[in-house]
Amino acid sequence: MTNVLVAALVGNGAVSGAVLDLLGGAADLAAQTGGQVTVAALGPGAARCASALISHGADLVLTCEEDALATHPGEAGALALVAASQATGATVILFPADTSGRDWAPRLAYRLGAGLVTDVTGWAEADGRLVWSRLVFGGKAEAKMASRRPVTIATVKPGAAKARRPDPERTGEARDLGLTITPDPAWPQVLETAVEQSSGPKLEEAKVIVSGGRGLGGPENFRYLAQLGAVLGAAVGASRAAVDEGWVPATWQIGQTGKAVAPDLYIAVGISGASQHLVGCSRSKVIVAINTDPDAPIFEHARLGLVGDYKEVLPTLTEALKEMLQK
Amino acid sequence: MHVVVLIKQVLDPEIPARAFRVDRLLQVPNVDRAPYVMSVFDGNALEVALKLREAKGGDVKITAVSLGPKGAEEMLRKALALTADAAVLINAEANSMDSMGKAKLLAAAIRTLDAVDLILAGRQAADWEAGQVGVMVAEELGLPCVPFVSRINPDGGSLKLRRELDDGYQTIRLPGPAVLTITNDETNVLRSAKVKDVMMAARKPLTTLSPADLGFSGEAAADPAIETLDLTVPEPRKRAEMIEGENLQAGARALARRLLELGAL
Repeated sequence: MTNVLVAALVGNGAVSGAVLDLLGGAADLAAQTGGQVTVAALGPGAARCASALISHGADLVLTCEEDALATHPGEAGALALVAASQATGATVILFPADTSGRDWAPRLAYRLGAGLVTDVTGWAEADGRLVWSRLVFGGKAEAKMASRRPVTIATVKPGAAKARRPDPERTGEARDLGLTITPDPAWPQVLETAVEQSSGPKLEEAKVIVSGGRGLGGPENFRYLAQLGAVLGAAVGASRAAVDEGWVPATWQIGQTGKAVAPDLYIAVGISGASQHLVGCSRSKVIVAINTDPDAPIFEHARLGLVGDYKEVLPTLTEALKEMLQK
Repeated sequence: MHVVVLIKQVLDPEIPARAFRVDRLLQVPNVDRAPYVMSVFDGNALEVALKLREAKGGDVKITAVSLGPKGAEEMLRKALALTADAAVLINAEANSMDSMGKAKLLAAAIRTLDAVDLILAGRQAADWEAGQVGVMVAEELGLPCVPFVSRINPDGGSLKLRRELDDGYQTIRLPGPAVLTITNDETNVLRSAKVKDVMMAARKPLTTLSPADLGFSGEAAADPAIETLDLTVPEPRKRAEMIEGENLQAGARALARRLLELGAL
């Protein structure tokens, strides 16, 4: 019997799609062995998510709404997660591979003496063990890994699991962990959280993404991408090179250490196609590459390619698509 | 102020995918004449330390610490040339260790140093990409930890950090000693070494320690929490369908038509 714990930071009573996807995967894993699924929902407002979590497959929701989870997330979260792990006796603990999950998972693995596998893209059972897949060496190789400890913790990339259809009839239990967390004066304290607002769709949810790299030559040239994006209702993303140049914010970065996206259409402009970037966009249904270098590795991964200067290609492409989509 | 920067030597991540091979039996990369370099985010961490020293008017000692083979000395000399003050190599075959084992060795080495105020590490190494060791060093030393920091600014007696989030960033007050893992932004791209500093680097202290010097007797590698069952390189893919036209405008229009034919919009 495998009892599974899903751990997630919950802001203001809202559960992200990534957490619901992970919960779907956890519910399948537990169901195969007759185990239970618990969600540790951490953060002020967490109790309000309980019914949504239960309808999506949670048997038990353990909440902790201490303010310290917002002001001192790393240190306070680790305490709450140890308590939740002990309360459930879970042998598999799953985190979304986001900034909170990547922060908490190693702390919890250390404190529980658990085996930890990070950024997994999928898992399967083989010979009675769970085998975890992950990309290594900037996405140039794939490793299969297994834990040698009674408790296994994984951080899971988007796309590895899928949310169940919510069942409003489903029943489960929700209760508070009953933990009081008083921040230690030595703990780092959040003074301010700035969420970047963008006019278009979020990268993680966009059907179409137009993405730019070093080949754009400067921040002002992202306007070519924005113009095409406006016609397609697309989000605009970037490679690590464009972020390192300071042309766009770090939140636009797509790749191994940026966002992992899965749009229907991904248009890569002036991006050479380093493996660490391709890892972030390889789940796109159609990748289109526009690049001046016919030997750029991006053409080995794209469905459609066009060799040429984007400054000439994009305005015509934008106009043509605008006309065609109006018809 | 004493800042330790944890840096790892890795197979050059710029090796193109088509040249990348692995030895499935040994579960390691197998690349001819492979260059080894400082892992990219560790370079960002070193740059953050150098910027902090500048912001504090020079009153910051920087020690670079690495765990790895003898060959990693070359990378540590580079860190010294980039004006780190001292370097320590824990000379051990780290490949077979798990993250906890590495963190324990690194923490033991840090304990041998003069009082340390801040420990910086790249958010993850460009080889196995685990992103675990930095946080576990904090656990082992009993220190607070802030992952995904891109900038550090002195603020009176304490420090202010910028931590990158998935959809924005946080400003964090750091009251005392901590471990920070560093992520990239435009302010922390690693600088190049100056010629005179490269010459100076040869005279700076580079200490080599063995696990035994730190009180370890091989148990760090004996019982790893995680085992690798297989390491493979995905099949090469088919080249893209290349769109051509009399000129780029015609090509762009042909691309638009093809996108609609494919139902991509």
